[in-house]
Amino acid sequence: MNRKTVLFVIALVAAVAWPFALDNSFFTHIGVSVWMFTLLALSMNLMLRMGQLSLAHGGLMGLGAYTAALLMLRLDAPFLLAFVSAGVVGGLVALITGPILLRVKGVYFVLLTFAFGEIIVLMFVDWVTLFGGNNGLFGVPRAQLFDFILRDRALSYVFALGLAALGYLGLRWIYRSETGAVIDALHDDEELAQSLGINALRYRVVVFAISGFMAGIAGGFYASYYTFVTPNAFTFWAAVDALVMNILGGIAVPAGAVMGAILLVPLPELLRDSQEYQVLFYGLVLIFFLKFIPNGLYGTFAYLISTPRREIGMRARKVLAWRQWK
Amino acid sequence: MAEGSGIRWTNDPGPLGFACRHGFPVPIMLPKVLVIDMDMLQLSIQVGVNGLMFGIVYILMALGFTMIFGIMRVVNFAHGEFYMLGAIAVLLLFGKLGYDYYLSLTIAVLFVGLFGVVVERLLLRSLVGRELNSMIMTLAISITMLSMVAIIFGPQEQSVDRPVSGIFQIAGVIIPQDRVMVGAIAMAVLVVFYLFLHYARFGLAMRAVAQDSGAAELQGIRPGFIYSLAFGVGSMLAGLAGALMAPIYTISPFMGDVPMMMAFIVVILGGLGSIPGAVVGGLLLGLVESVFSTFFGSTAATMIAFGMVVLILLVKPSGLMGRAQ
Repeated sequence: MNRKTVLFVIALVAAVAWPFALDNSFFTHIGVSVWMFTLLALSMNLMLRMGQLSLAHGGLMGLGAYTAALLMLRLDAPFLLAFVSAGVVGGLVALITGPILLRVKGVYFVLLTFAFGEIIVLMFVDWVTLFGGNNGLFGVPRAQLFDFILRDRALSYVFALGLAALGYLGLRWIYRSETGAVIDALHDDEELAQSLGINALRYRVVVFAISGFMAGIAGGFYASYYTFVTPNAFTFWAAVDALVMNILGGIAVPAGAVMGAILLVPLPELLRDSQEYQVLFYGLVLIFFLKFIPNGLYGTFAYLISTPRREIGMRARKVLAWRQWK
Repeated sequence: MAEGSGIRWTNDPGPLGFACRHGFPVPIMLPKVLVIDMDMLQLSIQVGVNGLMFGIVYILMALGFTMIFGIMRVVNFAHGEFYMLGAIAVLLLFGKLGYDYYLSLTIAVLFVGLFGVVVERLLLRSLVGRELNSMIMTLAISITMLSMVAIIFGPQEQSVDRPVSGIFQIAGVIIPQDRVMVGAIAMAVLVVFYLFLHYARFGLAMRAVAQDSGAAELQGIRPGFIYSLAFGVGSMLAGLAGALMAPIYTISPFMGDVPMMMAFIVVILGGLGSIPGAVVGGLLLGLVESVFSTFFGSTAATMIAFGMVVLILLVKPSGLMGRAQ
């Protein structure tokens, strides 16, 4: 067993044991939010892998949340159906809009998805009879399987952890498959990939749809965990949060998204009393990371773990020598 | 909508047609009744004039935004916060300390410009050329500035007296004098800005870097200096817009969000990085906004604005006046 495996096992045990060892409902709640946002961050990681930053993911998560809430509230649908529909709607909307949205790239895609996400949120706000306007929808039933209602927070935690783990494993599986190779190729050199007969747009749309599905599932979980949905939870700031988690953790691997969520989600809870200080702290941490840890936590960790200490020292000396010489 | 105007909704949706909640524009959803007591010609002139008055502020905002993108390839999400900073400076100097309005305006604009230069040098310079990272950095700058102002000045809405008040009434068309003052100053600044870009040494250098930074460097232009200059001037324009609008709207830490979004829309309509595009886009958005918010309400106006953005990005992603990528 190498060092990496040991660390992984320790992290896994800590993650599973978290709510049971601490037995504190506040910490458990933080844990649940962490894993819920991990799922959103993972869906963003998929987009970033493709080199496309989507600011519509808040809106897609919102679509999932409202779908689940409406199905359960208005149609008395069973939880499992509503929950799966949340993901399907998120994925379907991405699948339908994808061929239009993904025709543009780079900054234009960012701006277009920004507009798209805001239109979704405007729809939630404006269509009062269906979506309840600014007040949103209240009294969404909790997760339920047959007769078992998920009231216990610790069990909600396990559910969220399971979703995040599935998302993580799914993403790893995609990245290691041929599709993953194609995604990387599209990011690195689209013309070359196309010259090999790859339909770039089709791959992009499929990836966007998978990513939308994950965001929708996160939304479906949100609705039944918080038991209410309001439009302002799904503005483009939700997508920005997911993006920031990826940046903090490191966008190169899905583990980065997980680390980012673990780092970022509990952060506002530290300064619960005053919202302004929360936001300020958030902004300053972000600036610090962008400025000094541009590869994210995972990048830095991986470097420190995989490189023998002696070599790090040598590299540091080399850098110093180079700077002096310059 | 101009107060006392011949067209009005009985529930006035307020400045720009939005209310702001949690820093986001929220169209007010109350039943409204449209009251029009002017003839067709007066009506169209009034709507046009209102549109121009919206548009000129959008142009001020969008110019800085588009210039910063054109030169540094940085999408400046903090642009609305520079607008807010200009308004806050006027609140402090004119509202609290009682200086002359025009003096406060000048100091506010210079201060915001200087602040922009500092921000660019310390935080953005090392990220120029990396679109994703610099975009996130401006987001971080945006929320940091916002929360700092909220901590220092409080999150509530404040207001200052209007330095000019009253209305001009020309053949039944009503124009508030303060909006005329805003329009006149903005127009003068736009002319100066145009002359600066086309005749001044630094202005020419800025355009050179925007066109081809490598070639500009070969001519002895230091890009770093131009980045600072561009960001400073861009922030100044945003700060000016904020300082001009401070007496007209209420001042709060979140006041920059709507103008920011409008700048976004204008710039996409006109073409990212294109300065004539910002002017055309600003006028277009102002007119569309005026027409739709007059006849269909503010929500429809916002929807239409976003719809235009989506349409233009699909048909011609480089914008109305943009160069093809």
